[in-house]
Amino acid sequence: MKRRSFLKNGALASLSLPFVQNGFSMQAIAKQLFEVPKSAEDKVLILIRMNGGNDGLNMVFPRDQYAELVVQRSNILVPENQILPLTTDVGLHPKMTGMQTLFNEGKLSVIQNVGYPEPNRSHFRSMDIWTTGALDINQTSGWLGRYFDSAYPNFPDAYPNVDYTDPFAISMGSEVSSTCQGLMGNFSHAVSDPFNSSNLLLTSVTNDGTYYGGQIEYISTLINQTNEYGQQISSAASAGNSLSGMYDPLNPLAVQLKYIAQMISGGLKTKVYILNVNGFDTHDAQVDQNDVKEGVHANLLKRISDAVRAFQHDLQLLGLEQRVAGLTFSEFGRQIASNGSMGTDHGDAAPLLLFGACVSNGVVGGNPQIPNQVNNQAGLSMQIDFRDIYASILKDWFEVDAQVIQGLFEQNITYYDLLQGCTNSIAQKPTVQQPQALVYPNPSLGQHHLKFFSVNEFVEVFLIDQSGKILQKSFEGQLNHGQQILSFEINVLKAGSYFYLLKSGSRQELVSFQKL
Amino acid sequence: MTPYTGPWTSAEAAHLLRRCTFGASYLDIQNAVGVGMLGAVNQLFFTGSVDQPLAYDAGEQIVPLGQTWVSAVYPTNTTANQQTEGARMKSLGAWLAKNLNQESLSLTEKMLFFWQNHFGVTTSGDARAMYQYLSLLRQHSLGNIKQMVKDVTIDPCMLLFLNGNTNTVFSPNENYGRELLELYTVGKGAQLAAGDYSTFTEQDVAAAAKIFTGYVVQGVRSDTQAQVTSQFMPVLHDTSSKILSYHFANQTISSAGALEYANYIDVVFNQTDTALYICRKLYRYFVNCDITVWVEQNIIADMAQTFVANNFEIAPVLMELFTSAHFYDISVRGAIIRSPLETLCAMLNTSNTTANFDLQSTYQTYLSMYGLADQMGQGYAAPPSVAGWTAYYQAPAFYRLWINSTYIKKRFDVANLLTSNGFNVNGNNFKIKVLDLLNGLSAPASAPQVVNDLCLVFFPKDIPAADQLAIKNILTGGLPDFEWTLQYNEYLADPTNPVFYNPVELRMQAVLNIMFKMPQFHVC
Repeated sequence: MKRRSFLKNGALASLSLPFVQNGFSMQAIAKQLFEVPKSAEDKVLILIRMNGGNDGLNMVFPRDQYAELVVQRSNILVPENQILPLTTDVGLHPKMTGMQTLFNEGKLSVIQNVGYPEPNRSHFRSMDIWTTGALDINQTSGWLGRYFDSAYPNFPDAYPNVDYTDPFAISMGSEVSSTCQGLMGNFSHAVSDPFNSSNLLLTSVTNDGTYYGGQIEYISTLINQTNEYGQQISSAASAGNSLSGMYDPLNPLAVQLKYIAQMISGGLKTKVYILNVNGFDTHDAQVDQNDVKEGVHANLLKRISDAVRAFQHDLQLLGLEQRVAGLTFSEFGRQIASNGSMGTDHGDAAPLLLFGACVSNGVVGGNPQIPNQVNNQAGLSMQIDFRDIYASILKDWFEVDAQVIQGLFEQNITYYDLLQGCTNSIAQKPTVQQPQALVYPNPSLGQHHLKFFSVNEFVEVFLIDQSGKILQKSFEGQLNHGQQILSFEINVLKAGSYFYLLKSGSRQELVSFQKL
Repeated sequence: MTPYTGPWTSAEAAHLLRRCTFGASYLDIQNAVGVGMLGAVNQLFFTGSVDQPLAYDAGEQIVPLGQTWVSAVYPTNTTANQQTEGARMKSLGAWLAKNLNQESLSLTEKMLFFWQNHFGVTTSGDARAMYQYLSLLRQHSLGNIKQMVKDVTIDPCMLLFLNGNTNTVFSPNENYGRELLELYTVGKGAQLAAGDYSTFTEQDVAAAAKIFTGYVVQGVRSDTQAQVTSQFMPVLHDTSSKILSYHFANQTISSAGALEYANYIDVVFNQTDTALYICRKLYRYFVNCDITVWVEQNIIADMAQTFVANNFEIAPVLMELFTSAHFYDISVRGAIIRSPLETLCAMLNTSNTTANFDLQSTYQTYLSMYGLADQMGQGYAAPPSVAGWTAYYQAPAFYRLWINSTYIKKRFDVANLLTSNGFNVNGNNFKIKVLDLLNGLSAPASAPQVVNDLCLVFFPKDIPAADQLAIKNILTGGLPDFEWTLQYNEYLADPTNPVFYNPVELRMQAVLNIMFKMPQFHVC
């Protein structure tokens, strides 16, 4: 008997979930669906997380409703004449001169009133919603993680490889980003200092001369050596350049953005960088009592504005402007009315800032409506669904097929024109002849939808398990010409891989999904 | 041995439990603090019982699913016979993993594992024989070791594993005799001359082989015998007098039939080397791999003396060790690199994460658990050789052999798996119950206290304050501490509402994920 006799034919938990199941080659289908266009492979997206709930009304001002703002938040309101005008109706906090410059150069978009239906004012839950890109409580993957899973199948087992030597995403700091959580692994790699190839999450590992210290040192060394991306990152950072003198070395965000400029210019193929700025939970002393345009929030805004301005300047000097775009986000905005502690409490929708040379528009969406009476606890209503912003970025920036994007999100997507300002660099995509059928959300838990196009014909939909056995006929009926969306309850299914077989006179098509 | 008389705090209690169990919870540690050192050590000698492995796999063709196969015949048909053996081995592997995961607060599993590694048995060809053998080890694991070695010598599984069943007067087989001396009792010392290993010679190997002749095994995968048995066949036994080497004072072992093996083992245990050899192995298993001259003279010698004085009862030796000043010395804390099974169990047992599904799913989950440890380099009852795992004996690296560039990645993969979605077996999800872990801490609503408690549970020594702060920032998501308090209290007020428990669960998973990837987690 062999050593591994316990495991013979054992039903083991594989560390990777197989996408290929009994005879159906899902990889072939995936390949065809999810080919990443060459022009999109060079694109870089920067995400800046404003952690704690950013007071959007103290960042982007509806200038046309200053009188109403006075009613709501006179104790913290920046004087009207100090607001930096962007348009007649929209202005920025006085500390955001950098962002104003970018706006005037056509490199900044203000996206107004972004949020989601039925807002949740818990930091933790709301941040999970923003990072998963889903309202479904059971969604465990991040919005970028789902995109990466679709574009780069078999992660993490198949990576890094000859074609993809670099991490797909880098999270600056010690924690990987939930936005990049895929089905089987997190696509982001935590980096505190790209010039130090150490992968250690925390840095204070020293050998104190005891047996313990020796073992810790041994394990640390091994962790370092096996950090497959460490060398790539530090070589890129060393080979890269930074040409702008505008970075403030005392501004941590500026330091990190400078690192990113160095990594990009050094040839690192990483597609997403995530940065984090803490401190936006400004319940009290949001502003300086003696000068309301100063204070905690003003400093945070200045830090972001200055850093992004320096970064954008650097990209311009490095000739990288057309490859990089960035987005700020926060888990929620704050309430319209200020509180008695010179601060603001948890609210709802807030503006996002989208920066880069390729932004399409200056202001996206209209100003929020500020009531002329204080309504306790009122936040700003959402006008733009944040998931639509994510979807639009995937479409404009990473040139993801609209069919694929729909599969990543639970809502019926509305696209916004966000990043089409450099259209000459965007290759024309071949038009899709016959759109593929698609299950979304996928993987799914409770209810999901099957979207496909039909001609005027009789269609049957069968549910098939991974062994190819037909479990049930999920639908049959005469359908008109056009897009169809069928909704199915799948609560009763055990976790695993399944397929829908669409059968009609004109086609026979198989579409896979995972039940969680 | 100098007894420990220093302070008895959670640091000492956690050290004891980390070394003596496969994973103690925060509550276990606090209880151990409460009952004092002697109380805590005494508790560890409580031996419970385990149920028998049950048939769960469709390959089993004799007993109904849900019943035990340990005393059941095999099918006559060859294919069916093989399928049944496959099913029983899977059941046994899953059962072993289950016992580790569901251990009581006792030394039993840890010592069972020690003996399993000590004898290095991996095979018998009959799952029932393997079960019987493991039951024998369990019975003696905290008991009389001389009796254990005697019983193991004529155990069917061992007879099959080291060819005792074909060792006859007509063709002596030295396999068991050699390993008994080299690996199980006196150990192999420096080579003094050709065939002379300080503690025994080739003459002793040949003599031992003759002494052990005559035992045969019956009933392997039998369709009529419900148990595998060993039997002494006088006609196959070498009745000559066996003369031992000068290391054994040239003693003669006279022919004594079925009892001769036991007489010989008495002689072997009279050798001081046997007690010293076993105590060194225990020391490396429980304390530290580096046996310095000081340790040899002050610790090993004392352990061996106690072992001999108590007629090879192991409990007094362990009791003395676990209450000694040396065991709690700061210099040996955190000196051991956790084995893969210890690593996996530390992730699971500390939160009492167990699989309690229907029979089939439970066994399949535990077989997967067995597989995860195997992928990290340690399949229970499947060491790479009869000498056991190299990490327990191979100088100078010892425990470091558990981790190399491949295995550290596997450890991280397993950490990623168990601190995220886990894995599913027939729709049953298995992942670390982070909320149970959290709720069992001293002050779950206080972010700094949560981190303090987790460090106590998972790390052998305090970590720098900056690292604690970094972990706390992951727990709070970078927010002020009071936001964690609010979130936790909201969850506590409505614990079954995913809107409240999900965010708490995610934060805890992120914290454990990062802690499991810190070097400090991999030592104990």
